[in-house]
Amino acid sequence: MLQYLVRRLLFLLPVVAGILIVVFIIVRLIPGDPCYVMLGEKATTEQCDAFKVRFGLNDNIIVQLGRYLGNLATGDFGVSIRDKRPIGDVIAERLPMTMELAISAVLFSSFFGTLLGVIAALNRNSLVDVFTMLIANVGVSMPVFWLGLLLAYLFALVLKDTPFYIPPSGRLSAGVILVRLDEYWNMGELSGFSKFVIDFLSNSAILNSIITGNWETLKDALWHLILPALAVGTISMAVVARMTRSSLLEVLGQDYIRTARAKGLIERLVITRHALRNALVPIITVIGLQFGGLLSGAVLTETIFSLPGVGSRMIDGILNRDYPVVQGFTVVIAIIYVMTNLVVDISYAYLDPRIRVE
Amino acid sequence: MKQNRLFNLLGIVVVLAMILTACAPAATAVPTTAPTKAPEATKAAVATTAPVATTAPVATKAPEATKAPEATKAPEATKAPEWKALSLAAPDCNYGGTMKKIEATDKYTVKFTFCQPEIAFLGKISLPGYGILDADNLNATGGDSSKITPKPVGTGPYIVKDYARGTQIIMEPNPNYWGTKVQNTQFILKWNKEAAARLLELQSGNADAIDNPGTDDYVTIEKDKNLKLNIRTAAQVLYMGMNNTIKPFDNEKVRQAFSIGLDKQRIIDNFYPKGSVAAEQAVPSTVKPGYTDGLKWPKFDKAAAVALLKEANFDFNQEITLWYAERTRGYFPQPTKIAQDIQAQYKELGVKIKLSVQEWATYLPMTREGKTGLFLLGWGEDYPDATNWYDVFFMGTSKSFGNAYPDLVENIKKGASTGDLAVRQAAYDAVNKLFTTRLPWVSIANPVSALAQRAEMTGVVIGPYNENFQNWVTKSGKVVFSQNGEPVGLFCADETDGDSFRVCDMIYDQLYAFKFGTGEPAPSLAEKCAANADLTEWTCTLRKGVKYSNGAEFDAADVFATFTTMWDAKNVNHKGNTGNFQYWADFFGGFLNPPAKK
Repeated sequence: MLQYLVRRLLFLLPVVAGILIVVFIIVRLIPGDPCYVMLGEKATTEQCDAFKVRFGLNDNIIVQLGRYLGNLATGDFGVSIRDKRPIGDVIAERLPMTMELAISAVLFSSFFGTLLGVIAALNRNSLVDVFTMLIANVGVSMPVFWLGLLLAYLFALVLKDTPFYIPPSGRLSAGVILVRLDEYWNMGELSGFSKFVIDFLSNSAILNSIITGNWETLKDALWHLILPALAVGTISMAVVARMTRSSLLEVLGQDYIRTARAKGLIERLVITRHALRNALVPIITVIGLQFGGLLSGAVLTETIFSLPGVGSRMIDGILNRDYPVVQGFTVVIAIIYVMTNLVVDISYAYLDPRIRVE
Repeated sequence: MKQNRLFNLLGIVVVLAMILTACAPAATAVPTTAPTKAPEATKAAVATTAPVATTAPVATKAPEATKAPEATKAPEATKAPEWKALSLAAPDCNYGGTMKKIEATDKYTVKFTFCQPEIAFLGKISLPGYGILDADNLNATGGDSSKITPKPVGTGPYIVKDYARGTQIIMEPNPNYWGTKVQNTQFILKWNKEAAARLLELQSGNADAIDNPGTDDYVTIEKDKNLKLNIRTAAQVLYMGMNNTIKPFDNEKVRQAFSIGLDKQRIIDNFYPKGSVAAEQAVPSTVKPGYTDGLKWPKFDKAAAVALLKEANFDFNQEITLWYAERTRGYFPQPTKIAQDIQAQYKELGVKIKLSVQEWATYLPMTREGKTGLFLLGWGEDYPDATNWYDVFFMGTSKSFGNAYPDLVENIKKGASTGDLAVRQAAYDAVNKLFTTRLPWVSIANPVSALAQRAEMTGVVIGPYNENFQNWVTKSGKVVFSQNGEPVGLFCADETDGDSFRVCDMIYDQLYAFKFGTGEPAPSLAEKCAANADLTEWTCTLRKGVKYSNGAEFDAADVFATFTTMWDAKNVNHKGNTGNFQYWADFFGGFLNPPAKK
């Protein structure tokens, strides 16, 4: 197992390097000048020339790549062309929100998707089956943009003066401040990886409020997460439901399920102890892929609900030709994707002893 | 077995190397030219390379760079006991800019000398980009926007209590503010790109006011008794440009035909909110001197347009590309729909139009380089003067409209060369008349925009350049405002986006500021700025008793430091965000000591 882990981790390096080089080149080959995006339509040619010199954009692409990789080897992701902030700081600012949204959406979609799938499989070809799959299909058919606005309209406006009111946007209520953990712990000035970790924890509304014991802020943070998680999770839920149904149906037709029933086991135990566990392998794969996808940022959801996540920042970076932002986030997303796949693969071994990882 | 152990060992070594690398302190990539050392105020004002400055300035503020991580209070010990004058001058007027000299002649007087008459000085310095920073804080931060932005220090009505990047800026009243008392206890600025989402925030009570509601939502807002719509008349124009080096627009008759063949009112009626008008001239009617009363461009006339095209031997079989960018702007609320309508209108004349939509980042360079024969773009003025219109388009290096129109340029120069309003208006009358035949562009729309608020909030006055946030009153005392986007930075001398300017306007003060609800510059940090007879010298008498939010006293050294930071490319604080200080270059030509061209 250790060997397998080490080998997979080693594979991470060439994968990330390959992705980075491809993205580095592609982003620079896209037509468009970051100068005019940054300086606006009033920028003159002379101003743009000076801008390019200042940010090293006038060097040839190989020189730029070499310089970037050299800096990356020392942990320097560069600075954003747009606001000159270190990319590490930008990642630490945006990634926590995306992780909170991804985790909550996956929890919602996994639980309810699996539940719906199980109900559908156990009531195959009945009205219950049709109804649950209808819910699943409606979920996957709705554009997330529209669903997000609809949920916000329903819970923030229609149910405004009721106990079911949920805020329509923002990470926290206006005016709520997250304490800086370096100040909370009197840590002084930080740098490098420790700064990244502290910034990450500080910017995660949920972790921050748990660490500082600020339960009101925690409640506010969870409350604001409901609608975005619902919007994004509904689509994933549909996929999980359908996969659960088909996987469970396949397993329920197996001989060992017939044996379990013949032994006299109650149906609940047949399903939970025997059927579901064996049906989980493809379901876990789907959930893992969903999680990886969500971690790269649910752009439309972040836009509608005004959440400071990876997706919206990445899109801004692409549209503004903010190359360091695009490159930095690409590295992070690639690492997360590979790690997620690794966790999924390892989970197979625990779910099904027949699957050997070596 | 042995191979596996070796492999495991190699893997552990690689992982350890990665961890050690990640733990190394990150080298921050610094843009190439700007020095990082905190400056000494004595040296900052001297041009050190040839050309040579005329006088060596003497520091009045802290002689050594203050290294305090936060400029909370100006230490008394660092202040010089006596005021000493400061001065920075260009060696001549051939360096490319219009500023000749900046002098802080005494503690409350600053004099600006120009190479040519500076007609619009008061309007230009009213821009939030000309907010006056505390010299000590400027030195301490090295003029680096990334250091100024988290904790800006200004004399404005608000201070930044907390800036949660990506989320909100919480501002509170500045206890040291010199002006009228701020009427709210907290101002929270949020942002959301989607107009529909901003409207939801307003309707649900999560915001007290929002900027730029969608034009389709104006009716919804007006019908809701809990909301109120405030129309903002900004001087903007949507125009259709024609490049006279690209066929068929090298033919004046074709340009004229395209002008009279376009039904602008139809576009206004279909795509612009109530209050917007079809453009009659190159500049809106608010631009005075500039707009010519009583002059209208030839009316929409399809038959006459077709006749003109035939007269010009226009090839009706050719397909002409209409270029535009799919980017919503105040002057261009529905880019594709408007472009499609124009295409449909020209089709009625028998003219085949092909639409080419571009991304913003690509589109601007294309138009500037003169690659687009027929294109849609617009303009919103930065200050209320004709020089921010005609001069911008016809006195620079852009090739958007092709070859220069000498008669237009001659009259535009005349209009900018004197302060005599009658002479200026006469010059612009000539420009406007020539425009109807030369037609480098067809003005289409002078649009309005809006700000929507909760009806119970009082004290709201909005204008083309600012809002009177400090006078807004809500029951809770807090005001939550949602705008389009996050500010890029809060050292606005080196920013160009309205989202940043809005916040800067709340934190800093300029020498002059636009009166709320109008485009009229009025004294702010300066009690008065008076010009000499030929408008080449402007002397500003500063307001006394003003303090920064960190307790530092405002005086002429702060004005000198702020302006020379922008002007002198060799100033150690000339760093900002991009380092371009665009609005300096736009308003006052080039920089002193620019970097050598490669």
